[in-house]
Amino acid sequence: MRRPGCWIGVSLVTFVAAVAVAAPALAPQNPYASGVDMLALPSAAHWLGTDDLGRDVLSRVIYGARASLPIGLGGALVATAIGVPIGLIAGTLRGATDVALAALIDLFIALPGLVLALIITVMVGANLRNLILVLGFVMWPPVARLVRGQALALREALFVEAARAMGGKPLWIIWRHIWPGVLPVVAAQFSISVSFAIFTSASLSFLGLGIPPPAADWGGMVRAGYDYLAINPWFSLAPGAAVSLAVMAFYIIGRSFR
Amino acid sequence: MNGREETVRTSLIGRRHLMMGVTGGVLAAGTARAQSPSRGGTLTVGLSNDANTYDPIFSVQYTERYVLYLAFDTLVKYGPDFSILPELATSWETSADGKRIVFTLQQGVKFQDGTPFDAAAVKWNIDQRLDPAVNSPQRQVLAPIIASVEAIDPRHVAFNLVAPSPVLFSLLGERPGFMVSPEAWKKRGPTFGSQPVGTGAFVLKEWTRGSRVVLERNPNYWQPGLPYLDRIVVQDLAGSIIGVQRLITGEIDYVDQLTPSDILPIERRGDILLKPIKVGRWYFLQWHVNEPPFDNPKLRQAFAHAIDRDRLNEITMRGQGTVSNGPTPRGLWWYDPDLKFYPHDPARAKALLAEAGHPNGFEYVLSTPQVTVFQQINQLLQEQLGAVGIKLTLQPVAASEWYARVVSGATNLTPTRWTQRADPDGLLYILFDSEGFANTMKYRNDQVDALLGRARTVYDMAERKKLYAEAQQQIVNDLPMVPLIFGAEYAAMRDAVHGFEWIPDEIPRFRGLWKTAA
Repeated sequence: MRRPGCWIGVSLVTFVAAVAVAAPALAPQNPYASGVDMLALPSAAHWLGTDDLGRDVLSRVIYGARASLPIGLGGALVATAIGVPIGLIAGTLRGATDVALAALIDLFIALPGLVLALIITVMVGANLRNLILVLGFVMWPPVARLVRGQALALREALFVEAARAMGGKPLWIIWRHIWPGVLPVVAAQFSISVSFAIFTSASLSFLGLGIPPPAADWGGMVRAGYDYLAINPWFSLAPGAAVSLAVMAFYIIGRSFR
Repeated sequence: MNGREETVRTSLIGRRHLMMGVTGGVLAAGTARAQSPSRGGTLTVGLSNDANTYDPIFSVQYTERYVLYLAFDTLVKYGPDFSILPELATSWETSADGKRIVFTLQQGVKFQDGTPFDAAAVKWNIDQRLDPAVNSPQRQVLAPIIASVEAIDPRHVAFNLVAPSPVLFSLLGERPGFMVSPEAWKKRGPTFGSQPVGTGAFVLKEWTRGSRVVLERNPNYWQPGLPYLDRIVVQDLAGSIIGVQRLITGEIDYVDQLTPSDILPIERRGDILLKPIKVGRWYFLQWHVNEPPFDNPKLRQAFAHAIDRDRLNEITMRGQGTVSNGPTPRGLWWYDPDLKFYPHDPARAKALLAEAGHPNGFEYVLSTPQVTVFQQINQLLQEQLGAVGIKLTLQPVAASEWYARVVSGATNLTPTRWTQRADPDGLLYILFDSEGFANTMKYRNDQVDALLGRARTVYDMAERKKLYAEAQQQIVNDLPMVPLIFGAEYAAMRDAVHGFEWIPDEIPRFRGLWKTAA
């Protein structure tokens, strides 16, 4: 935690997390209850107006944090769980294993994440668990490449050479000497992965492949509200701002490690 | 005002002539207005166009007819109340046994390639559609009705029918009635779909898929004085809502398929005209009525009582649609005001659900095509049915895959919508007869089959009306679907556009429009 920006990120993340946890207490209305005052502009009763089914936009944005945070964190966890071991093994072992794994990483990096996520989501269907797995699967290659680079550098370090000279097995060396060295980078990348996952899941929702309605889902709301921008712009802009806020919060944290 | 009354009277006469089998020789004059039409100009239409072909023999997509009604003429045409009016056929006579109809054709009509339109061309057109080798999608509708077509002389063509069929006239006003130039069709082969040749008021000049269709005035059109416009351009849109913005800026002159929410930004603008459709699309919730769980009538009744259709209309249509008790909306002659339906009664729904064997609630998947109005309806259904213990999970289905899944039976519980057809048989038979090709509910009631079967062979309108009333009440009692609402829909156009009038099939006819200079 070297830069002051980090604290901005941490406080924003804490804010979003608190909103998610306390959603039932914070939301002024039931986010799923329809009403006959559709697409109303902000008023005392509805601070951000209502959506196409007369539901309270503010309440839905608040509840949306409950969908986006688990997807972001879950996706990043899956990406880390796949990417880190592959990166460590490739970077430490080198040789044919490295060539093969590096080729695999490059292959996946060459595919645009959103397109890959789209294709897989269409095949497996959209729900919370599938979205987490799909996003994790799309995001592991950058993690693996980063970790591999770090491991490649570390394995040449004197203390690692010493450990090898003492007859240390590769797994033990990775666990005791390399992993602690790459940990800060992994942590930084984790945070950036969270922001990417939230952003990508919002994009998927926008394309109709997010968590199915009536769930309050930011990307889905941006899409639904897009048709009514001329009537109640908050229906689309408010969840859009929420996505930006969450993405920025995690991104700031990630960047401040470097 | 005068003009409108005149049109209505004309069409009533047209219908009476048809029903009595008397020669109907009334030529429909275009809606007369105080202002007289002016010539020239380009009409730019915005449309989410999913056309695959402009060959009427193979046309399937809804939007294809926007262009087909310009490049082609039909044998008969529809009035604004679905009455049958003369077009390429000026009059017709039905034989005493009702099995032979002789059409007298308009004289001096030429196809756009200069070949004559005559009885032989009519015969060729219908024969193509009936020929199994050609494999026209219209064959399944026409084959059970038409035994043969015979060109008596160049001006007279006879349709010999399998049984008396009042339905034939309505069919000849839509796809099966579009008259294709036989010469051009043979010469152009598979490219005919992109270079169609008919007798229509406009000639298709250019079709760039995903971009635009350009049609130009047919200088040799057979109806004197028509058309008024020089060009019609059908511009592709990524959605009607974008069309609204482009209409405001004046980039396009016309856009339709607008919902009551879509029109909010243009409702009060003096430079844009809104034309509400009078007879809206029918929305209903359907299921497989012949297999568990929906073969249980109590469960179906529980759904019917749980759904608040007034609120559906209030929210999805801003109250501008109408609640549907059955398949037919007010305004069509086979509408039955006395049709009874299961009223909204959540307590009764709960009780029925328990009686149906689900005292602790019932769970099911509701297919949700990625179409805004269906997503809205489904979320409201989920809320309303959830209140009585019916828990629905909304399963998104791509709009392009959805109907194919409904037809294949992969989709069970789903909302559906249909536009009205010019004859009651058009919708009621295909949906609710056990042999109906769109009966994806797998509904079968022998009494309904008998009523629908009889009604399609009777020319007497009063008797048909009685038969359809009886059939519709029986269908509604059986609940092969839950009728929901008739939608509200609008066309919006710049105020320079004149002469527009809706036909209840919701396909706009641009042929007779004219523009005042900007």
